[in-house]
Amino acid sequence: MLKDINLEVEEGEFISVMGPSGSGKSTLLNVIGMLDNFDEGEYHFLNESVHTLKERDRAKMYKEYIGFVFQSYHLLDDLTVQENLEMPLLYKKYKSFERKAMVADMLDRFNIVGKKDLFPVQLSGGQQQLVGVARALISNPKLLLADEPTGNLNSKHSGEIMELFKQLNKEGVTIIQVTHSENNAAYGSRIIDLLDGRRV
Amino acid sequence: MFKNYLKIAWRNLIKNKAYSIINIGGLALGMAVSLTIGLWIQDELSHNDYFMSKDRIAQVYQSQTLNGQTDTGPAIPIPLEKAIREGYGDNFKHLIMSSWTNNLYLKYGETNLSRPGNHMQREAPEFLELQILNGEKDGLREINSIMLSESTAEALFGNEDPIGKILKVSNQYDLMVTSVYKDIPFNNTFHDTEYIIPWDQYLASNEWAMRAATEEQWDNNSFQMFVKLAENTTMQGVTAKIKNVKKDLNEETVEFNPQLFLFPMADWHLKGSFDNGKQVGGRIKYVWLFGIIGAFVLLLACINFMNLSTARSEKRSKEVGIRKTLGSLKGQLIYQFLSESFLVVVFAFIAAIGIVLLSLNGFNELARKEIEFPWDSINFWIMSILFIIFTSLLAGSYPALYLSSFKPVQVLKGTFKAGRYSGLPRKVLVVMQFTVSVAFIIGTVIVMQQINFAKNRPVGYNKEGLIQIPTFSQDFEGKYDLMRSEFLASNAIVEMSSSSSPTTRIWSNRSGFSWEGKPEGFQEEFAWTVVSPEYAKSLNLKIIEGRDFSREFASDSLAVLINETAKKYLGIQDPVGKFLKDDYDTDPNSGLKIIGVVEDMIAQSPYEPVKQGLYAFDRFNYSSYYNLRLNPEKSASENISIIERVFKEHFPDIPFEYEFVDEQYGEKFASEERIGTLSGIFTALAILISCLGLFGLTSFVAEQRTKEIGVRKVLGASVFNVWNMLSKDFLKLVVISSFIAIPIAYYVMNGWLQEYPYRVILKWWIFALAIIGAMLVTVLTVSFQAFKAAKANPVKSLRSE
Repeated sequence: MLKDINLEVEEGEFISVMGPSGSGKSTLLNVIGMLDNFDEGEYHFLNESVHTLKERDRAKMYKEYIGFVFQSYHLLDDLTVQENLEMPLLYKKYKSFERKAMVADMLDRFNIVGKKDLFPVQLSGGQQQLVGVARALISNPKLLLADEPTGNLNSKHSGEIMELFKQLNKEGVTIIQVTHSENNAAYGSRIIDLLDGRRV
Repeated sequence: MFKNYLKIAWRNLIKNKAYSIINIGGLALGMAVSLTIGLWIQDELSHNDYFMSKDRIAQVYQSQTLNGQTDTGPAIPIPLEKAIREGYGDNFKHLIMSSWTNNLYLKYGETNLSRPGNHMQREAPEFLELQILNGEKDGLREINSIMLSESTAEALFGNEDPIGKILKVSNQYDLMVTSVYKDIPFNNTFHDTEYIIPWDQYLASNEWAMRAATEEQWDNNSFQMFVKLAENTTMQGVTAKIKNVKKDLNEETVEFNPQLFLFPMADWHLKGSFDNGKQVGGRIKYVWLFGIIGAFVLLLACINFMNLSTARSEKRSKEVGIRKTLGSLKGQLIYQFLSESFLVVVFAFIAAIGIVLLSLNGFNELARKEIEFPWDSINFWIMSILFIIFTSLLAGSYPALYLSSFKPVQVLKGTFKAGRYSGLPRKVLVVMQFTVSVAFIIGTVIVMQQINFAKNRPVGYNKEGLIQIPTFSQDFEGKYDLMRSEFLASNAIVEMSSSSSPTTRIWSNRSGFSWEGKPEGFQEEFAWTVVSPEYAKSLNLKIIEGRDFSREFASDSLAVLINETAKKYLGIQDPVGKFLKDDYDTDPNSGLKIIGVVEDMIAQSPYEPVKQGLYAFDRFNYSSYYNLRLNPEKSASENISIIERVFKEHFPDIPFEYEFVDEQYGEKFASEERIGTLSGIFTALAILISCLGLFGLTSFVAEQRTKEIGVRKVLGASVFNVWNMLSKDFLKLVVISSFIAIPIAYYVMNGWLQEYPYRVILKWWIFALAIIGAMLVTVLTVSFQAFKAAKANPVKSLRSE
């Protein structure tokens, strides 16, 4: 999918990846997020050579440093908002009271305390994506990867999420987002255009 | 973490109620079956566990060879006791001579009972590890004493203290109750020993037994000997020592090569069959059979679980993807899905215990057991926990591995589709299920057929409307003619006879005859029944050649009827009028004159050929049974109440007991019928479980293909086309299963049938029937879902996409 891409991302950047369907945006994001493998080339992340790491170490690494936001939110339908937020913490070594505190903190920060016992189907799209972002941020990742985070949202919600991203970026989170929208791309500090797997 | 998993699992169960019911219900049924079978097996294996020193107890068995055929059994001659006691006594802690377990009449005051019990030597209470509740431990010291089981004592004396009371036994002699012992458990060889009378009393009150002792009859194998080994001895070691004792001490029996051996208690119940001198198992085969059935039924239920879980995998794939992107490792996902299956299995186990508790009474009745649910057995609960874990792993491992291996990028992008062959393992599992089900169907049908085949075999006499009354007391001596005329006069019967064995048994075998044309060295043996002259008439036994006994010929007291098999056995073309000379009789002119040949009648196993038999005129009143042909013009109950009245007039001190001969004959099928019924029930459950799984599976397939069905319908497919499309896939699997199942079932069942000399011939249509049956069940199961899917409005299913 991707060909000869040479990309360097500094800590604290807010990058928007753009390009038509099939241009390899999502693949690039998945490779950066260590969800996809690549056949050739090198990937250095925080002084580690990801391409030489074992599956296990790689998982450990992205568990610690990377958060994901999806176009269709991907919340677990069987869990409440609160439980959805808690889930990533379960895969890390936090004690029960620490998890509770972190979840409460996040609910507070995103203004969704009142929604904590609702199930995803009971929320609007914008609210669901808010939970999705909160979930991605709960374990303090250094890098936030967002695959068309506003693709399913109306322009009002869309704007809110983008403002949120901008705010987060200011607080020091590196963000890479894939988007179709020029508007959203403008929130970023740098735009990368892809076409047929190459940078343009 | 674990809590989180259980929470998701629980919500999943609640959300998909139908799925959960099918899954848990099917698994619970399977577990209930294997649990019940497990309890049954445990009961079989723990037979005689009541004995602390089970592994040191044995019975002395004897093998003898006649005409190259070796027979093995527990019957031994009486002089053997002295020989072993004197020559090898220090090998044994106890050596007990015993009678067979027979019924005697016990009378105290107005209470008169017929109960089974034994005559045994003095050390019996210690040997049997009896728990004495009342009275003395050494209760058999005096010849006129009797020890009673708790329940027998209660039946006789109620609340009175039984110790020191005098019982009248068989209306002949008085015995004093010396002690009361706790009932020997149901699950024990000696369960029927409800009283013990001293051995010396046996000899004193049975003339034939006393004669066997005083005359040292080595050829009268009519007694039992139980032993408990001394320390520092082994069964094999002692067997090697006593093997040839009888042969060495008695020349006359050398020709039969009598071999003695210790038959250990551990083998009594499950491995008590001998074929031509070799131990060939026994009931243990049913333990294996049911064990295999239990394992298979559980496997079927587990397969359901696997199939339904993987079929739902597309619904769970999103969750797997999200969890993986949020940092879940594959191992953690496996752990999650296993804990889900654990939850389901625990629910199923609880439901299974409920099912077992509800059905245990019925099962006990069917299986003739007294199994109780082992609430207080730690072993049972440990086994149960292991069983739950094992089942969770068995049922959950495949879905766990399968689901956890999804690639997160694919499932989240929505490009994940189960590949063309992803259904293959599921198909293999369905094939396995139906292979087992079809094999079960075939097996059950063949068992039933074999039973019916043997039942329809002509018995040789008319067993309906015939009753037998035991006459085990000296009171009956010399009363036969009187009773016959009394019963006839009462108009309750049309004919009556007496015989030395019940109609449905052979109690005695005899050898020691010569006849014209007997081959040199031929070691003959005949079933030997002593009968009154009306025997054939009362049984409606057909005379084929010659004539019946007649009271008009005085010479008939030395006459004998032979059966058809005996005619062939003797090798005489025209046997009527020929003589059978008794080798023990010194008078050269004596002998039994053959006056007629009767039709073969089945007195032993209905699965085996009839044995050569002699029916001799009863000269000495050897009667053990009266055989009464009821008056067909009256109802049976009417006849019996008249008979009871007449009986009571003449034998007021003897309890009136009777048995219907056809019911006694039916007992011969009890063991096979029990196996047949049980395997029938298990088969039905196995099929039900398979169908539950199939039902669930079809509903998922139909759901998966909703869009395809919609498109097809828009393009003009009829309901029938769609139904056909969905059913065909499953029918194919059933046909494949049948072709795997048939050879296996044929092989196994053919082996089972070989045990029966008289057996049904396997016909091809049994197998065809099984296939058609399985296909029919499949079509019915699949159709419900298939029709539902086929009739759905295509517009709806397409719009929702």
